This record gives sequence, C-alpha cells and structure tokens, in this order.
Amino acid sequence: MSVADGIDPPLGEETAPARAPFRWSRVLPWGLTALIALFCVVPFLLVIAISFGRKIEGAAWVWDFTFENYQRFFVGTLWPDEVTFLYLQQLGYSFWYAVIASILAVITALPFTLALTRLSRRAQAAWLVFILSSLSLSEVFIVMGWDILLSNNSGLPALFKSTGLTDWLKAVGWFDTLREWGLANPRNVKFKTSEFATILTMSYLVWPYSVILLYPALSRLDPSLSEAARTMGAGNLTVLRTVTLPSVRLPLFGTTLLLFVFLLGTYVAITVFADPSKHTTAVAIYSNVRGANLNAPFGATQAVILLVSASVCLVLGHTLNRWSEAR
Amino acid sequence: MMRGIGHIYMALSAIVLALPIVVVCGAALNGGRTMTFPPREPTLARFGEFFIYETVWTNALGNSLIVAFGAATLAVLLAWPIAYLLWSTGSRLSQVLAGLGSLPFAVPPIVFGVGLGFFWGFTGGLGEIWAGVVSHAILLMALPLVTISIGLRAIDRAHLDAAATMGATEAVTFRTVVLPQTVPYTISGFFFVLVLSFNEFIVMFFVSASSYATVTLQIFNSLRNGYTPTMAVAAITFIVVSVLVFSAVARWGDLPRLMGADQSRN
Repeated sequence: MSVADGIDPPLGEETAPARAPFRWSRVLPWGLTALIALFCVVPFLLVIAISFGRKIEGAAWVWDFTFENYQRFFVGTLWPDEVTFLYLQQLGYSFWYAVIASILAVITALPFTLALTRLSRRAQAAWLVFILSSLSLSEVFIVMGWDILLSNNSGLPALFKSTGLTDWLKAVGWFDTLREWGLANPRNVKFKTSEFATILTMSYLVWPYSVILLYPALSRLDPSLSEAARTMGAGNLTVLRTVTLPSVRLPLFGTTLLLFVFLLGTYVAITVFADPSKHTTAVAIYSNVRGANLNAPFGATQAVILLVSASVCLVLGHTLNRWSEAR
Repeated sequence: MMRGIGHIYMALSAIVLALPIVVVCGAALNGGRTMTFPPREPTLARFGEFFIYETVWTNALGNSLIVAFGAATLAVLLAWPIAYLLWSTGSRLSQVLAGLGSLPFAVPPIVFGVGLGFFWGFTGGLGEIWAGVVSHAILLMALPLVTISIGLRAIDRAHLDAAATMGATEAVTFRTVVLPQTVPYTISGFFFVLVLSFNEFIVMFFVSASSYATVTLQIFNSLRNGYTPTMAVAAITFIVVSVLVFSAVARWGDLPRLMGADQSRN
C-alpha cells in the first residue's frame, strides 16, 4: 500500500543505531509532511489546475491555461454577444438552500442542546449515542426515509387524505394557499418536488451536527450567571435573551457557517426533492465530471468556485470560534 | 417549569429525528418490490436477500467492511504521529500538518472526491479498492486527530515529570505513560472513522470509477431505478452498527468529554 510505503523510511531507518530515537524524531516530521502534502493538498491542486484545462469535442480534455471555463460560469460561452447566468443561478440555489437549512437547524437545535447540557452525565451520554448514530447515518438512507414520508402515494400525503385533513384544508380555504406555494395539486397536498421538502431534508441532515457543534460551548456556560439574573428578578425569557444568547452568539454563528459549508455539497437530497430547474452547483459538478456532460475541466471549475466559497466561510467561522474561546 | 418545557422539546425533537428512520425500518418488511409505509404483506425475506442470497449486496457489504476497517486503521496510524507531534512540540510545522490533515473533512466532500478522482486517475489507483481505503483514511483522518489530541491533553503532566525524574527516555515514557492513557481515545477515533466510512458514498463514487461498490454506493447508484425494500434492510443494518459502536464508545470512553463537555461539572 502506498501510504505504508511512505511511512516506512522514517520508521525503519537503520543507520546510526546508537542515536536511533533522535534520528527517528527528526525524520518523522518530514515523512509526514510529504504524505500530507501528497494526499491532502495535491488533489485540490489538481482540481485547480484542471479547471484551466480545455475539453476536446468527442474526446476527453487537455491541459491548457484558459479562462474559458470561468467565463462560461459567470457570463456564459457566448459572452459578450449573449449573457447567461445559468451557472451563477445554480450557485445561487446552492447558497439559498444551504443558508435557510443551516439557520433552521441551528435555531431548532439550540433549545435542544441547552436542555441536553442540563441533564446528568449518564443521560447526556445516552442522548449523544442517539445523536451521533443519526449524524453518521448516510445521506442516502435519510433521503430514502423522507422520500417515503413525502412521496405522493404513501406517507404524509396519503395520511392527509385518509384522515380527512385534505378535505378540511379545502373547506377552510388554506388548500388554495398551499397550491400557490406549489405544495398541492388539484386533488391532494404534494411535497415532491418542492423547496420545502429540499430544505426540510437538508436541515434534518445537519441537525445532529448542530447539536454536536453547539454542545461544547453550551456545556461551558456558567449556570451561576443565569441564576444570578434570576435572583435579581429576571424572568426565564429575559435570562435567555440577556444572558444566555449573548454569551453563545459567536458559537451560534460559527456553527451556522460550518453547517452551511457542509450543505454546499449536498447531492442526493437535491436530486430527489428539488425541481430540475432549481438544481445546484454540486449536481452540475457531478454531471460534468462523471455524469452525462463529461466535461471534466468545467466540472473542476465549478468545484473550485464551491471550494473558494467554502474556504471563505471556514476561515470566517474559525476566526469567530477563536474569538469566542479567547473571551 | 422551564425544565419541563425542555424535556418536552427534547422528546419532540427525538420523535422527528427518529421519524424517517422508523419509516425506513418499517419499509424493510414489505412483501412486494415497492416501498410503502405501513408495509404490505410483512416478511423478513429481505434480510435473507441482503445478507445471504443476492451477490450484489453481499459483495457490496464485503467491500464496505474492507474499506471501513482499512480506512479506520490507516487513519489512526496517520493521525497518531501528527497528534503526538502537535502535543509534544506544538511546533508551527505540526500545526500546519494538523490543519492540512483536517482540510479534506472540512470542505464539501464532492470537491475532495473530484480531486481524488483526478489524483488516482494519474497515479493508477482509480477503481482499485486499496485506493478507496486510502481515500477514506485521508478524508476522515481529522476525527482520530481530534480524539487523540483530546486524549493527549488529558494526560497529567505530573506523570510525565515523574517518568522523566526516574530516568525514562522519551520512548519509554511513550510506551509506559502516554500510550496506555490514550488507548480509549485512539479506539474512539477508530470507531468514528469506521462508522463514517461505512456511510460515506460521494468520495467513494469518484474513486471507485464503477468498478466496485460499497453498500451506500450501491444504493446511490440505483437511485434512478427507485428504492427497494432490500435497501431498507441495509439502512437498518447501518443504524444498528452505529448505535452499537457509539454505545461502546460511551461505555468504555468518556463520550461527553470527547464531544467537548466542560470537565469541572458533572
């Protein structure tokens, strides 16, 4: 195995046995640096390099240094005669879904995590097992579950119909509102395809992550602060607004950013729940690199743009977390 | 009052969190080829198909196990020296290494997947299962890096001073003090990689080049043809594995501490 080969030289150094531990600790960092550079950095450099490449019609692609792909992404191939924002629009949808879903997840996870940190150590461990299990569950299984729940023949729409909820909605006139929002057809409610289903599933996907990310900050909250506020006559809501929330403001923002970055790459939820006209950059990358389009350089370009967006957010989030820890 | 509302909210969240999982589990019992809930003509035949009869699934399960165990071992072996360097020297280089080692986990997986697809294409690993193992090890190395670092920081410096006073070399101290105290954290890191590798499919999709499939990849590939109840059996298997693994971590390790809980309160 190549990685094992890479580790071997520093570990198996046999020269100068008398000073072996000394040499070992001197060679190890360089072996590690080489390995990390090879596996963690080179793949990203390749994506960046290939994003400047050129596709050959009917064949693969060649190395080049052209900005055509970037031009195509931002203003379309035919610029300046004609301008299309199709790819920017896809990036826009990536951002839109990810922003709403991550904010939703953090807002709903905050009270849960607060309640979690007040439990006994044992109970916390049990809840964490549950949260971690659902966190690690593959996107394909989660989408499968929501797909069954939201598809038109089974799950919620069928439940709505059989319990008479659909008829009731029609009677009070809310059904027409749902139709305007695209959440119903003439006969019954429908959730596929809709932005509602997409964002719901994406938010569900990162909800356990938001609990895990908020947990350290919330468990370090000093309970004596809110107790002091309460002694001075502040109500529960006032304590929450004036003591608890301000002290977790930065972790909240940092968590939202991390979840946002994670959601930028969502693939399965988008393909199953979003309308094809509202697909995202991640879906476009997939179809360019491995799917129907087979235009690896353009796929790489889109990947670079996603990478840049993600990096900016990560750096911002990291800085915020540093601040909050320093205080 | 506030406490009661908190408990009710937690229970509600748990119900919503469990909802799709329960539905998938129920769908595994379907007698026909379609996924409906509640299941029609309940049967356990799908479990036989998944674990014994259908070679597509048994092969995929075998690949999943190879990749997950291989990647977990490799990730721990890679993360250990980096975490140790970071803890023992705190040097600029070790900080950069730890940062770069966590990079693949931090960015959207599709970007790293595309990069690895190109990388293995040039180095000849594309479509080889060992390349899949290495890819997952690199992707998930960040997890043992974090757990081992937490473990190293938990070591009482007094023990190290005592060992040094009694004339122990760095190697001896490492073997007798550092290693035994960090075993639970190393195992936790191993298990985190194991479970996440088991469930990952985007990176695997790009590096496998359709020449082999893990279970999640197999399901991902058959997305267009619709779901079958056999896939739901796969889902149940994976949930059970996750619960068992994390329960083990909670039983033999300190899960709240690993997740960053405050140590001064209990």
